[in-house]
Amino acid sequence: MAACRLACSRGLNALYSTLGAPNQALTSCWGRVQQVRSYYVDWRMLRDVKRRQMAFDYADQRVRINALRKNTILPKELQEVADKEIAALPRDSCPVRIRNRCVMTSRPRGVKRRWRLSRIVFRHLADHNQMSGIMRAMW
Amino acid sequence: MYRGLLRTARQCAFSLHQTGALPPKCDNAALPVFRLGRSVGIHPFNTSSTSYCENKENAPAPPQLKDKEDAQKDSASLAAPTDQAKVEITAECEGTNLPDNVPPPPQAKYKEDAHKDSDSLATPTDQVKVEMAAECEGTNLPEQGETLLKTPLKTEEENQQKTEERQPRVKTGKESLLDLLVAMKVDVTTSKKRSKGTKIPARHEPTVTPKPAAMESTHSMFQKATVEASIQSDAQPSVASLSPELVAAASAAAASLPDPSRAESELLQQLRQHEAEPEDHKRGEANNIGNIIADMKVGRPAPRQHARSSNTIHFDEDGRGYKKSLFERKRLGIFNPATDEESTDAAIAGPNLWDTEFANLLVRTANHMPRNGFEEMIQWTRDGRLWQYPIDNEIGLEEEAAVAFHEHIFLDRHLEEGFPRQGPVRHFMELVVAGLSRNHHLSVRQKTEHIDWYRTYFQEKEDVLKEAAAFLN
Repeated sequence: MAACRLACSRGLNALYSTLGAPNQALTSCWGRVQQVRSYYVDWRMLRDVKRRQMAFDYADQRVRINALRKNTILPKELQEVADKEIAALPRDSCPVRIRNRCVMTSRPRGVKRRWRLSRIVFRHLADHNQMSGIMRAMW
Repeated sequence: MYRGLLRTARQCAFSLHQTGALPPKCDNAALPVFRLGRSVGIHPFNTSSTSYCENKENAPAPPQLKDKEDAQKDSASLAAPTDQAKVEITAECEGTNLPDNVPPPPQAKYKEDAHKDSDSLATPTDQVKVEMAAECEGTNLPEQGETLLKTPLKTEEENQQKTEERQPRVKTGKESLLDLLVAMKVDVTTSKKRSKGTKIPARHEPTVTPKPAAMESTHSMFQKATVEASIQSDAQPSVASLSPELVAAASAAAASLPDPSRAESELLQQLRQHEAEPEDHKRGEANNIGNIIADMKVGRPAPRQHARSSNTIHFDEDGRGYKKSLFERKRLGIFNPATDEESTDAAIAGPNLWDTEFANLLVRTANHMPRNGFEEMIQWTRDGRLWQYPIDNEIGLEEEAAVAFHEHIFLDRHLEEGFPRQGPVRHFMELVVAGLSRNHHLSVRQKTEHIDWYRTYFQEKEDVLKEAAAFLN
């Protein structure tokens, strides 16, 4: 896995390669031919990936500083200091900026959370019997 | 001086151990042991015996099955450098136990045979036999064992010489160590033991004193060993020279053999060869061991059987060296088991960077395409893309399961230091701890990190807190 990831960085910027390709680019171990994607669908998807990673890194710190801010026991001076501290953190570290995009098309809207797919892709796969347990509603 | 003889004798025993079959030379001595062994208990080396020894056909009737006897025979056989020693010991043990069950006539017969052979035997080996006998003797009855001691020893010595002459072998490291230990054992004598008297004192060399009675302890044994080693080292400064005692012993031993001159020359050759080996580290070993042992307490001979068996070095069947029971009774502290484990752990330690790199290279070069859906799913499971079945909610949390619940709940102890005792900060931290105690998703380490972060934060913001407190007050 690690070997595949490292070898997959070809011609991309360093950040992209370190993040790792979303798909198994060098998985030549598959018997059948599969559409192999070695890039993210678009740059917006890449930025979303970066935000998710950063939010994960700063999650603990944000929770603790927010706990200092959102209480009525500590003195206000300390809470103001905490406000300034959390505002000083990088903007992409807050989880609010994460957008649940479709993993196949990077569509920001119409994405069903359970399948992480936009409605169009979901319908396409379901019609072609690629979604396990999904069938056309009929009653 | 007797090391050479003992080594050759031991070699015979080792060959026995390893091959499981007696070499033709050892047949004479081996047989009676095997015969007895079969009747008595289970001896791994005994099962391979085939030939019979004419000398020992007068051996006493098979002894009764006794655990003690078997244990003695086991211990004795392990310790004995040759089968002959085993014969002696088993005979002795048997003899000592016989009074209880079997009438003594077999003992007397055995003694007579032994006496016949005694004339031709050299003194040095007698000591060994006395040693061997002493082991068994100590375990059973000292008085009876004493009388039996001398008789078996002679025959053992004779056979020892024969085996030694016929089968000179290159010593392995293990054998050298065993020889060293046996040499240490052989040379131990004390004056009071000597006074107990044996029938062989006249033939013994002045420097080699017999050990008729029970050996006191390993302490004196190893002390003597160091002394002996030092004496020997002093006595043989040059590579190829032999001490006169050794030469005399060799000639006496050779005299008993069919071709005395040839035997003597071969014996001396072997001795010179053994002396030529590097003695320094052996001496060092003996000295170190002696120093180590000298610091240890002397064991009481009150449980004489235990003292006897612990004095002798009982060798295990697999030739590893030492029986477990020996170490459990008296730890000599020569070999530190921890070091062996550490060395093995280092060998078994986790893969280093080179190993992981090699593994990755293998994975990359060898494209094992999944031939079917099963292999594909196996590959997915290894990748982590597929859950492991049957579904286990706590996969990856095995070490967390081992953590006790009180470590998750009682976190007040972390508030004892670094936080003020009273005030809003304390109140806040108590609430934090209460929340953490109810959190199922964090590990104990994460919770302690949480509290530590707050400790450092409040210590940094002390001035702000004081200003706020002053403003309030």
